[in-house]
Amino acid sequence: MSRVADGVNRPAPITIEIDGAAIPAHPGETLAAAMIAAGVYRMRDDRSGAPRGMLCNMGTCSECFVWIADGQTWRRRRACLTPVAGGLRAATREGQP
Amino acid sequence: MTHEVLIIGGGLLGCAAAWHLARAGLAPRLIEARGINAGASGQNAGSLHFQIERRFLEPGASGQGAQIVRLNTLAIEEWAGLEEELSRPLDIHMHGGLMLAENEADLALLASKVARENELGLPTQLLSGTEARGLVPRLAPHICGAAWLAREGHANPRILADAFADAARSEGAVIETQSRLLDLRRDGESWQATIEHSGRIVTARARHVILATGHWAARVAARMGLNIPLYLAPLMMSVTDRTAPFLPYLIQHVGKRLSMKQTDDGNMVIGGGWASAPQKMADGLPDLDAPPYLVPDNLRANLEVAAGVMPCLRARSLIRSWTGMTCVSADQLPIVGEVPAAPGLFVAAGGSMFTLGPLLARMLARSIIERAMPEEIALFSAARFAHLNAFAVPS
Ligand SMILES: Cc1cc2nc3c(=O)[nH]c(=O)nc-3n(C[C@H](O)[C@H](O)[C@H](O)COP(=O)(O)OP(=O)(O)OC[C@H]3O[C@@H](n4cnc5c(N)ncnc54)[C@H](O)[C@@H]3O)c2cc1C
Ligand code: FES
Repeated sequence: MSRVADGVNRPAPITIEIDGAAIPAHPGETLAAAMIAAGVYRMRDDRSGAPRGMLCNMGTCSECFVWIADGQTWRRRRACLTPVAGGLRAATREGQP
Repeated sequence: MTHEVLIIGGGLLGCAAAWHLARAGLAPRLIEARGINAGASGQNAGSLHFQIERRFLEPGASGQGAQIVRLNTLAIEEWAGLEEELSRPLDIHMHGGLMLAENEADLALLASKVARENELGLPTQLLSGTEARGLVPRLAPHICGAAWLAREGHANPRILADAFADAARSEGAVIETQSRLLDLRRDGESWQATIEHSGRIVTARARHVILATGHWAARVAARMGLNIPLYLAPLMMSVTDRTAPFLPYLIQHVGKRLSMKQTDDGNMVIGGGWASAPQKMADGLPDLDAPPYLVPDNLRANLEVAAGVMPCLRARSLIRSWTGMTCVSADQLPIVGEVPAAPGLFVAAGGSMFTLGPLLARMLARSIIERAMPEEIALFSAARFAHLNAFAVPS
């Protein structure tokens, strides 16, 4: 999915990292928006290994849990509630890369 | 048609009572305003705590230990037989529970508690910090002791009431959801209930009525001019993301509010009686139907207590916190049985009714089936508060 371009002014992009790949994102976007714009719909796997992705986009369903690097550890966060910031590192599997 | 028993409320108490009554051939009818398990029974911590609880050790709460221990001993047997009796798995874990001490004062309190419990016939054991860490190596190094009870544990609050409801139905109970009691009044030898069922108003007659309406019980009774001393306890719970299994036990704290356990999936469930704040109605009274607000300071304090005794929690992420409402009675002990001022009206509420619910529901059903209050729960009878209704004229 791509961003609306006509008639929209966005701040200059920053770079975030998803599963090791550098992705452009605009300040003010959520991580979920940036992931989807980058074509990453699979945000985590459930216990059976099936893909899960954004559902409610408002923080209630917990489907969009990703891992976010926090120093040496990885924390689970809802991608739809997490604002992007320069240097953000997110992963769809624990502790990757 | 006059029902033998009409049960108001489809929480753990109501559903379990329905099952016992149905098995005895009394074909009860249960009405539930929302859905089965929509109240405290589906929101609680699921702790099966059989040691004397922290709140009974607080100043002003003395003298009740014996009653509680007696009831808890019976509750242990009740839980131990439930999966077999309902013939289905219920996530009941009774692998043991630890009540922790962090300092000398805690330890002294634990030692006297254990001595008292042993006197009363409850086989708790005092462990040293090293012995406690032998059971749970991830406990903080400063934990200096624990009271251990081998049959404490936890169960899954999301499935138990439904299991009772299913069992009750298969024994002939009629269970109606979206069915709210609006009014209840005495009519000759029986009770007449006015019920709103999916927008329609219907009436029902019954010889016996059980108010199993949880924290709504006092208000339902008040509408009939009856006083039942039950007070709101809005609480909160939290759960972390999954981690590899390491805690098969229930963890409590003797000096601080804490309950902690690990689910089969690996999530850590953390609570311990921290308050949330009820939403208010236009007249300023708490709104019993609305979920209470989370109090961020209490959330932080609760998690701090948990991480204080289990430092590895600092690496976990909180994935959800929720609130629920329950009620405690004037003397903190459950209120169970017939209301003396209103013959035929039975109530069961107050106290740790997840742990005690299956047992007390059985006892309540027995008091209707056998037409006498079982001696085991005489101490919890609603009659101890009969003086509050000395001047009541139930309408
Ligand atoms: C956060 C929290 C943690 C807890 N932790 C523990 C614990 O670890 N261990 C423990 O032992 N206890 C615990 N408790 C207490 C325990 O959950 C309750 O004591 C118990 O669930 C009460 O069950 P109940 O069936 O009486 O009430 P509820 O489960 O509240 O059921 C009452 C039902 O009545 C219905 N109702 C109300 N009014 C009407 C009406 N007018 N008409 C029809 N239906 C009506 C409601 O919709 C509701 O479904 C906790 C409680 C909370 C809130
Ligand atoms: S998509 Fe539902 S919580 Fe994020």
